Formats: sequence, C-alpha cells, structure tokens
Amino acid sequence: MRRFLVLAVILGMIGSGCAQRKVVTPSEAPQEATEQKAAKEAQEAKKGPEKITEQKMEKVESKEVATKVEEVSGIFDDIHFDYDKYDIKENAKAVLKSVADHLIKSASEKILVEGHCDERGTSEYNLGLGDRRAKATKDYLISLGVPANRIETISYGKEKPLCNEHTEDCWAKNRRAHFVVMKGKK
Amino acid sequence: MTRPGLIAQALFTVFVLLVSRAGAKIYIDVTSPAFKKLPIAIAEFSGQSGREISDIIRDDLDFSGLFQPLDRSAFIEGPSQPFQVRNWSVLGAEIVVKGIVTGDKEKTTIVSLYDVMEGQEIFRKAYQTDASLTRPLAHTIANDIYRQITGQPGIFRSRIAYVTRYGSHDELTIADWDGQRAYRPGVKGTVLLSPRWTRDASRLVYSSERNRQWEIYLLDFRKRSERVLFSAKGTNLAGDFLPDGDQFLLSSSTGGTPDIYKYRISESKLTRLTSSRSVDVSPAASPDGSLIAFVSDRQGSPQIFIMGTDGYDIRRLTFSGSYNTSPSWSPKGDRIVFSGRQGGKNQIFTISPDSSHLTQLTDRGNNEDPSFSPDGRFIVFTSDRDGDRAVYVMRANGEAQKRITPKGVRAFGPRWSPNY
Repeated sequence: MRRFLVLAVILGMIGSGCAQRKVVTPSEAPQEATEQKAAKEAQEAKKGPEKITEQKMEKVESKEVATKVEEVSGIFDDIHFDYDKYDIKENAKAVLKSVADHLIKSASEKILVEGHCDERGTSEYNLGLGDRRAKATKDYLISLGVPANRIETISYGKEKPLCNEHTEDCWAKNRRAHFVVMKGKK
Repeated sequence: MTRPGLIAQALFTVFVLLVSRAGAKIYIDVTSPAFKKLPIAIAEFSGQSGREISDIIRDDLDFSGLFQPLDRSAFIEGPSQPFQVRNWSVLGAEIVVKGIVTGDKEKTTIVSLYDVMEGQEIFRKAYQTDASLTRPLAHTIANDIYRQITGQPGIFRSRIAYVTRYGSHDELTIADWDGQRAYRPGVKGTVLLSPRWTRDASRLVYSSERNRQWEIYLLDFRKRSERVLFSAKGTNLAGDFLPDGDQFLLSSSTGGTPDIYKYRISESKLTRLTSSRSVDVSPAASPDGSLIAFVSDRQGSPQIFIMGTDGYDIRRLTFSGSYNTSPSWSPKGDRIVFSGRQGGKNQIFTISPDSSHLTQLTDRGNNEDPSFSPDGRFIVFTSDRDGDRAVYVMRANGEAQKRITPKGVRAFGPRWSPNY
C-alpha cells in the first residue's frame, strides 16, 4: 500500500511539473541539467556533424503521344450557358440541330464537345461544371438522333478561356460548349 | 518478474523521464493561445555564405510569427568574439544564435544557441554540406532552433508542389516552402491540376489532360518515373491519399456525372462512394482517414459535405454563402480550410468539422486551392490579388500573407508536402 502511495506522489509531481513546463519554466535543478547537458554534448560530439543531403531528381519527360485524328474547329458556333448552370438554353437549339444534321450526314466523323466555364469559380468545381455542360450538350445531340458513340466530351473548366477580361461580357463568352469535328486520319 | 520488481522498474522509468524532461526547456508553447514573441538575436555567421545562412534562418523564424528577430545593426558582439551575456541583455535578446562556417566547397557550419537569462549555451551542433545546398542547410538549422525553442518540429525543409502555366502547356513545379529553388521535374500537360503528396512525400499524384483525355498520373521520386494511375472516359481528378499510402481519392465522371471514388493502387480497384446527378468533386481525406470532405451542388449551389470513407453518413458542412469549394484538412483534423465566395470574390476560410468557428482569412482578390503546412501553422493558396494567379503562403490565422512565386509567372494549385 505504501509503495502505491509513493508512486502516486511521484506521478503527481510529474503531472504538476508538466503543467508548469507548458509555459516558460524557471531554471530548475541546475546540477542535473548541467550533467545531462555534458552527457548530451559528448554524445553529439561522438555522432559528428549532421550531413545535409538532398535526394537528386532526374528529369522525367512526360511522353507525348501523337494524336491520330484530324481536328477541325470553327464549323459550328459555341453554345452558351447561364452562370453556374448546365441546362441547354433555347437559343442554343438551332446550333445543336445543325451539329446533329452534320453528324447524321457525315458518318465517318465524330464530334468532340468541350465544356468551359468563366473564371469566377474555383478550378476543380469548374471542371465538374464544364463536364456537366459537355454532357448536357451530348445528351441533347443524342435526343436529336446522333449515336452516343459519335460524341466525345471533355471539360476544360476555367483553364482555357476564350476571352481574358474580367467583365460580364467576357464571362458570358467563356461559359460555353465548343465543338470540334474529328476526322479519322487515312 | 515479481510485482515489487515491476513497481521498482516503473518508478525507475518515471525517474528517468523526470530527469530527461528537466533538461528540455520550452521557451514558446505553440499550443498556448496567447504568447509573447521571443526576442532572438541571430548574429551574422562568420565565413563564406555566413550572411546568407543567417538571413534565411532569420526569415524562417520571423515568418513563424513566434519570434521577434532583433536588428543586426545594433549588435555589439562580433562573430568571432566569445558570448557575453551583457552584450545581448542590453538589446533585450533572450536567445542568441551564433555560427561559424569553415571551408568553401565542403562546408562545416557550427551553430550555437545561447540563453541570455541563464547565461549559457543551450545547444550546439555541427553541420556538413556542399556549397550547392546552402539553403537546405539554413532551413535545417532553422528547424533545429525551432525545435529547441518550441519542442515541436519545424517545417522549413518542407516543399510546395504547384503548377506553372506557360503559353500552351502546364508544368509541375516543386519549390522550397519559401518559393526558392523552384525546379521542374519535366512533367507537362495541356492542363495539369491538383498535385497531391503521399504522406511520406515520396510520390505525387496529379491530374493531367493530354490528347483530349483527363488521366491521373503518379510521379515516383525514388523510381524517377511517371505513369498513368487511372484512366477512364470523362473528367478524372486526383484527390488526397488515404493514410495507408495505397489508396487515394478521386473524382470521375466515368459513371455519367462527376462522383467521388477511392482507388486502391495495388489492386487497381475502383470503389464508388457517391452516386448523385450532381457535380461531386474535390475529395479531401481527414488525417486519420476516417472522413472525406468533398464539394457537391446536390442542394443547388456548390457546398462542402462530409461523409465516412465508405460513402455513408453524408452531412453538409458549410451553410454560409452560396459557393464553397476546395476543402482541405488541418493535420490535427480540427479545421478544414476552403475557398468561399464572399461579395463576389473567392476568399480563404477555415471551419471546424462540426461547422462552428467559421473564420475568414483573406480579403483581397480571388483566393483558392488552400492547404495546410505539415504542422498546421501555415496555409498555402492561390491568389490573383496582384494580377495573374500566383502562389501565396500565410500563417493559419491569416497573418503575414506573401507571394512565393516570382512576378510574371502564372502559378496555381499548390500543395504543401509533408515533413521530410
């Protein structure tokens, strides 16, 4: 029983010691500290200097794969979206009809739909939003009779703006789906 | 062992602990909400690069916000003179740092730390390095001083990965925490985004669009190689690693709309965690790997939600404002830093996982992509406050905001490395 008491007292001391030491401690037990310091120094000296090194990194060139298709841009106008929205607007439907007609006529061609956003949002969410805009466009083209496997989509979020000014005019131009006709290389 | 024997051993262990703790004096308690900056005199080191080394140490300690480096021009004691208490006490210095550099290509630097009140040396260490590593040397010394004074590891040798944008492509860039020694390992893409470190800092994942396809790549610093980790039709964006280092989170629209997934590298196994008609992106793992914060517009506007790593127990975290994105956890898991729209601009905020303690940290320009330093005391983020997007650091309370990427360089998407 007494032993437990001793243990409890010592543990208590440690507890209060820790609490005190949380803030700046007054210098205490100078003798112990000095002895310990000497021991530590001797140990440090034996270890020798710390070598400062750094892992060297060789260059890793990203491999560029040559694209197998010919891309033609500018045949169709961009269609536009409202801020933070991805539903197809009334005034986009004429362009989408002409895209669908073209694809149904030219069976060897595919279309790539790029989804873009204005700069006001943040990078990753805008990539998600651009993805939805491209997909909404694709779904509408499918509803006009274009087979799904003829339509590819990709999102560029706010990373490839058409217009670089910080104005509502510019933002409206950047909230868009852009069409790229892809012809298989012979 | 008998019971009295056990008790005796316990007592001995306790005694040893007690004695060894007596030696380690904590000058600054970083966990205390109120503290006085510690006046520190960092003398110019003697020898080659001495000034550069002592300047870097001063800048590191100054940025921490815990120290008050004293003006060197007032110093009385020369670098080669022995430490005298009265030379420093009159200046109000509590800690003095002195150093000697010898050699030129192969350098040895000996650093001493003195406690002015106690009038004695409290730390001495020798460092060996070649001339090309002067900055890492100085950051290592700053880390050692920081540890001596606070009892905590410093972050001054950690690094920051970010993306640099050129005319027609993006390139991965890795710099020291202060933006210096930026180097580009050769990783390029039409668009490159969201680098994320493994917890041992040996690998990075990132998303890149090349040839009209978003893929997630792994850069292995040890193997010096880049490989495709995840490829699928749609927008695939890398998120955080889970603590095991084998699984990482991602968002992908391969299932129709952007959803959150986890991917086990060793088994190439993809597990879907959310399936909604909404945009779900930016998964961020809590430090213990039990929770995932992510962005979703499932309730109309983009907001941050939290769920379990199995995809269950989804609850909304942010309620203030109509556009809250880019969440990232503090290393202790007690805060989430994110970008929120305020008055038409994106600002950096922190919030507790229980939605309390919402705090705005920035108020100039648009600010996004925030993440914490490994000790949770600093935040790195992107801002366009000075024109083009650039990388900035600040203390976790919003103080001392400064740009670390050069003027005229378009840089974004920073991530602070773990300590290594």
